This record gives sequence, structure tokens and C-alpha cells, in this order.
Amino acid sequence: MSLAITGWSVLCSAGIGVDAFTGLLDAHGDGASRAPDVRGLYEDALPAATAHAFVDLNVRATLGRKNTTSLDRRTVLALIACRDALGDGGVRVDDETRHRIGVTLGTTWGSLKAMSDYTKESLLEDRPYLVEPARFPNTVMNCAAGQAAIWFGLKGVNATIAGGHLAFLNVIDYTANLLRCGYADTILAGAVEEFTPHNAWANDLTRGNGTAGASGSNGSNGSGLAGEAAAVFVIERADEARAAGRRIDADVLSVATGFAPGGAAGGRLRTSLAGCLRRALARAGVAPEAISVIVSSDASGDARESVEAGAVADVFGNAAPVRLAPRAIVGDCQAAMGAMQVASLLAWHRGRPARDGAVSLITGWTDDGGVGAAVVKGWNRAGSDRG
Amino acid sequence: MHRVVITGVGPVSSIGIGVSAFARSLRAGRSGISPIASFDTTGFPHVCAGEVHDFHPEQILRRLDARRWGRSTLFAAAAARLAVDDARLDVDAVGADRVGVVIGTTCGESQVIEALTKQILRDGFAAESPDLLRQSPGNRLAYGVSEEIGAAGESLTISTACAASNYALGYAYDRLAHGDFDVMIAGGADSVCQWVHAGFYRLGTLAKDSCAPFDRDRAGILTAEGGAALAIETLDHARARGARIYAEILGYGLNCDADHMVAPNASNIAACMRVAHRNAGVRPSDVDYICAHGTGTPANDSAELRAIREVFGDQPPPVSSIKSMLGHTMGAASGFGAIASALAITEGFLPPTVNWRAPDPDMTGIDVVPTHARDARIRVVQNDGFAFGGNNAIVVLAGGV
Repeated sequence: MSLAITGWSVLCSAGIGVDAFTGLLDAHGDGASRAPDVRGLYEDALPAATAHAFVDLNVRATLGRKNTTSLDRRTVLALIACRDALGDGGVRVDDETRHRIGVTLGTTWGSLKAMSDYTKESLLEDRPYLVEPARFPNTVMNCAAGQAAIWFGLKGVNATIAGGHLAFLNVIDYTANLLRCGYADTILAGAVEEFTPHNAWANDLTRGNGTAGASGSNGSNGSGLAGEAAAVFVIERADEARAAGRRIDADVLSVATGFAPGGAAGGRLRTSLAGCLRRALARAGVAPEAISVIVSSDASGDARESVEAGAVADVFGNAAPVRLAPRAIVGDCQAAMGAMQVASLLAWHRGRPARDGAVSLITGWTDDGGVGAAVVKGWNRAGSDRG
Repeated sequence: MHRVVITGVGPVSSIGIGVSAFARSLRAGRSGISPIASFDTTGFPHVCAGEVHDFHPEQILRRLDARRWGRSTLFAAAAARLAVDDARLDVDAVGADRVGVVIGTTCGESQVIEALTKQILRDGFAAESPDLLRQSPGNRLAYGVSEEIGAAGESLTISTACAASNYALGYAYDRLAHGDFDVMIAGGADSVCQWVHAGFYRLGTLAKDSCAPFDRDRAGILTAEGGAALAIETLDHARARGARIYAEILGYGLNCDADHMVAPNASNIAACMRVAHRNAGVRPSDVDYICAHGTGTPANDSAELRAIREVFGDQPPPVSSIKSMLGHTMGAASGFGAIASALAITEGFLPPTVNWRAPDPDMTGIDVVPTHARDARIRVVQNDGFAFGGNNAIVVLAGGV
């Protein structure tokens, strides 16, 4: 069953909104994109002076003063992205529809900082139970999705998927099943990663050689500076969306995920990912020659350095399509990586009717053996703000 | 659509590791609550939890190197190994690509994150152990299971807090019903940790040393841990290989309260029950037993029983809470509920609500199976799971396949 994306939102180091994001992409094309200075964000030491973080985030200016004091950063980012996706997609939320509108968000840890800070508070306070009760919900991994349901009154299926670098492809897979089974009519599907000292150090200390070698012996997906991003997409059943005359930004034709036992050290990641790409293409009924664009999660497109590039070479041979690789622009934004890949693709289509109907492949993987791919057909948005 | 059946169960719990020990404890009404050993409880007024003290993962696991994985993943992987063995499944014979994994959790590798936090406090962020950081992501739970059993299909970690196992079971059911896989391993895992103990205490929902669901004087939950996994396959696949069948999964329902992060909502829980019944094709009168979420907090138990009254009327079926024995195992909780439900169907008994002393005047007329297990013929079971974030998930199981 085909899914339609009928609205979306994005936020990244350049700020909130599609215009800020496309501006960042264009600046990178001009060689002008730079990660902002993050030293003023936290009192804790950071591994690097810069990161692709949203340093100008002002919670109260964006979400208001009410009910925002205790929210963790990840939840704030998710709320902004969900709000803007609902708006962009023109989703009608009322008592007739709200129990059929759900949320599916991807994550890595939940908020690693919220969990760690709660432990720290318990360890350092005079009494170990003198923790802040209002912040306790931030330590459960489904906090952001649960808060989004509360803020926007969405009583349909509410799910959180922990997938690390593969989270958003997992989210698409999970969402596709919900819609196929008729458990919901509309899903806000997205992924979020916050920039905190905890995430930045995790990124820094687990980095291997920058990218995973094709041999997969000593690699890590965590390459480049830490990133912070969120993107949320309004997803519906494609046939119903068309019948209702909804504006379609993209059709998700298929998704496939799998697992390579042994992970990066096991040497089977590349072949497993290649198998996954073939499965996704077969499910979409699309031949490799019909793919116009590969939207890669790896920074490098060199098959000797990158698991992903190796798998693409295995499937596409020398006739490799155009390659979009947003990692250099948005940083290593972990769970949000796949969502930013899809956002990059929609930005590539936006305002460019000549690219209508181009079919693209989104690819992803994790150090531990997760592999995934999705086939997406994109459309420009007629009358878009980029005209 | 394929019919979907449970053919193996793997409990790793404070009341027993493996199906025989777990079933014996359920029947005996044994409590798994004990003084906490995994962290220093000095200064805590309440110091008990449902820890699995005799968990030796290396004795159960065949492929995973226990030193390289966090405690929650080890619970999940050990439970999966037990479930696969109980089902007499040979993953290679099924085909690694035809076997998927879906695991639920609340806090993922919480003990790993606490260990990292101690490193940060002692020597700063730069001193964090890269090995522990690599063990910390939540998606490791499903990966550890896939790795242990040699599955190459989808490997998904669902982190919908304390309803997560039911989400996982439901998702496995869909995947099998639609023929996407032949076998799925589904379940959940979590570990006892200091921050969760502190948080529940601070919320005023932590009992002292005994969890007494539905009792007039119930004081709250006890934090607990463990891993619960079920081997699930299509009925055709199970029959073709002559597998023993515990129960059929008829369907499930999900919804979201969308009104409060921690307080349950009776009318939304009732709505979730109706969705589950509709999806499973059963009427309330078909349900012979409700394996309750039954955390033992005043708020949960009242809301759950109000919802049951609303859906089932004045004469609901017996309702019991195995959390009275296990404590609240978070992401594993509804997985243990599903295992208990499968055993209730297969062995013909109602698991008891232990520690129950006096009826709540607001909850009269409900049979909570107090204190002692009871023999009973059970065909259809409703297994409840509710969570922070208002994530409600209910799975309906049936015998007689």
C-alpha cells in the first residue's frame, strides 16, 4: 500500500521552518554553511566548539510560557515540529477526527540528558528521592510523543520507536503498518534528536574512523559533528489522500528494514543493506534504472569508506544516480538522520516541477546491524513559497 | 489474513526464569519482591523492588557475549532464547530472513546510563566509557535479540513505556497476519534503576514492601525488572512443523489519552478496550479473564476497574494483577501478562492477586482472584497495558486452536 506525505515541517541549526532549512541547503551548495558556535549553550564542557545545533532556540517565544518550564529539549523540538506539520498539512483536528490521528516518533535514547540529570539529582541531593517530580516523565522514552498528543489533542495510536540512525526508516515501516491495518487515518511521523553535552560526547567518544570501512571492521555510523534536528511528516493512505484532493508532497512507495547479525564488526552490513535496497525496490515495483536520486545517511559516497556507498555500488553498479547527503549540512543528528534525508529530498523537489515524479531511494543503517531503505516519489509543491 | 499463534514463552523474572518456574510461582502466588541490591538505597525510605537476583545471562545465552550488552538487552535476549527453545524453533530452518524481532521498553538501558552518569560525575564527560556509550541506545534491545537468535528480518524496538510489550505483541501479530514474516519474537525488557525508583517515590506512587492491587489500602507500585518474550508464528507455520500451541492472538487495540503524562483516564481506557474487542472480533461477554494492568496505585486501579465496568457492565469476568507478585516490570510488564494469560489458557487456572486484604468500597462486585490461584476453564483473555504518555495497548488472546 502506498503512503502519501501531505505536509511536513523541519527544524535544524538554521532555525524553524522549511525556508530556513532550504536556505541552509543552498548556503552549503555555495560552500558557506558552517556549524554554529555552541559554547554558550551549556555550562558543561563540550567536545567541540561548534555543532550543528539550533543555538537560537527560544522555547517561550516559540511555544509560550504555559506548560513549558519542565519540558526537556527533545520534547520542545518535537512539539514545534508536530505543530508546524499539522499546520502545513492543514490537518483538521476536532472531536470527529482526533481519535484517528496518531503520532509516531523516532528516537535513540529518549532524552539521554533528562535520564542522566535525573540520576545525577538523585545521587547528589541530600536525600536521594529529592528529585523534581514534574521532570520525571521526561525520563521515559515516549515523553515527546505523549506530550505531542496532549498539546494537540491527538487520541489515535501514539508510538515511539527507538532506532538510532535507522529510527526514521523504522518509523515509516511502523506507520505504514498502522495505516495498512486501518488503525489510524493520519499519522504525524517524524524523528527528533536534541543537542546536549550528553549527545555530543556520545557522538564524539563512539566515533570510529569517521565512516565505516567497506570491510566493516572498525567503523561507526557516528561521523562528523553532532547535530540537532527534527522533522515531522503528515502521512496518510495515498489513495484516500488523492480522493480527498489533498496536496501530495511525496508518495512513499515502499520501505524495507532488516538486521545484519554481527553489526559493523560482523562484515555482513554491506550485503545486508544491499539486500534491503533490492527488497525495497522490488516492493515498490521499481527497477534500479528508474531511481533518480539516492539520499544517503553517510557523509562519504566512496564505496571504500562507506557501508552505504558500498551497498549502492552493489545494487546500481557504475550507473549510480544523483546523490544527496545531508549529513555534512545537518551533522550527525542520530535518530533524526532519516527524517532529515526525507526533508532534504522534499526540499530538492520543492518549487521545481521538472523534477516531479522522480523516484528516490532513502538509505540507512546502524553500527549494530540495523539496515533499511525506502522508495519515495517526490513532487514539487505548486505555488510554493520558493515559487 | 493468517491466523497467529503463540508457540513459545520465555519469562526471565523475579518469580522464575523459564516457563516451568514462572508457572509454578503464578500458581503458588509467590512474591518476587526483595531488598534492592543493584544500587545503594541509603536515604530511601522504601528499599524494595522486584529484582532478578539469580539472573546469569551467560548460562542462557548462546551467541551474545554478555559483557558487551546492557542489562535490559540481556534480559530481552535471554527471554528470547528461552522462548525459542520452548517453541522448539530452529531459526535457520525457518530462514533467518523470515524471522523478525520486536521488543518494547520504558527506559531502555537505564543501568548503563546510570553507570555513565557516575563516570561523568566522577571524572567529567570526557571520561565516559566508549563501550558503555555503545551499549546505551534503546534500539540495542531488539538488536540483541536478533543477534542472539540469528534473525535477519526486521529488528524493532518500541519504546512506549509500560505498555510497550503489548505494542510489540500487536505489531508482531500484524506482521504475521499479513504474511510479512513466518515467525516473530515479541516481548519487552527493563532494569531496576535508581532514577526510576526515586521518581516513583517522589510522585508518591511507590509502595513500601508489598504491592496490593485493587486492595482498599493499596499504596502504589514496586519497581521491578525482567525480560518477557514470546515466540509467535502463523498458525499454518506452527501446524506444518507440529508445534505446541499455547494460544491464538485474536487482535489488539491502541489509543492515547492525550490529556496527562502520568494520570490514567478511565473513559479512554474503556475506549481502548472497545477498539481491542472490535479488532479481535469478540464481545465483552466472550472474555473469560482480564489480566489487568493493575499497578497497585490508587489511580490506576480505580480507572481500570471503572473502565471495565463501563465496558463489561455489572458482571465482569475475573480480573487479577500479576504485578502483585512481580512488581512493575515496566516495558516487560504486559509481556509477562501475555505469558501469564497464555499459561492461564493452556493450564486452566486464574493467576491470583496476592497481598489483597480488603475490598475497596468503590470496587465491590469484582472478582480479583484474591490470594490464591484458582482452576478455571478460560478461552478468551484480555491483557491490559497502560503507560506514561497515555499510551494504552490491549491484546486479546484465545485458546481452543
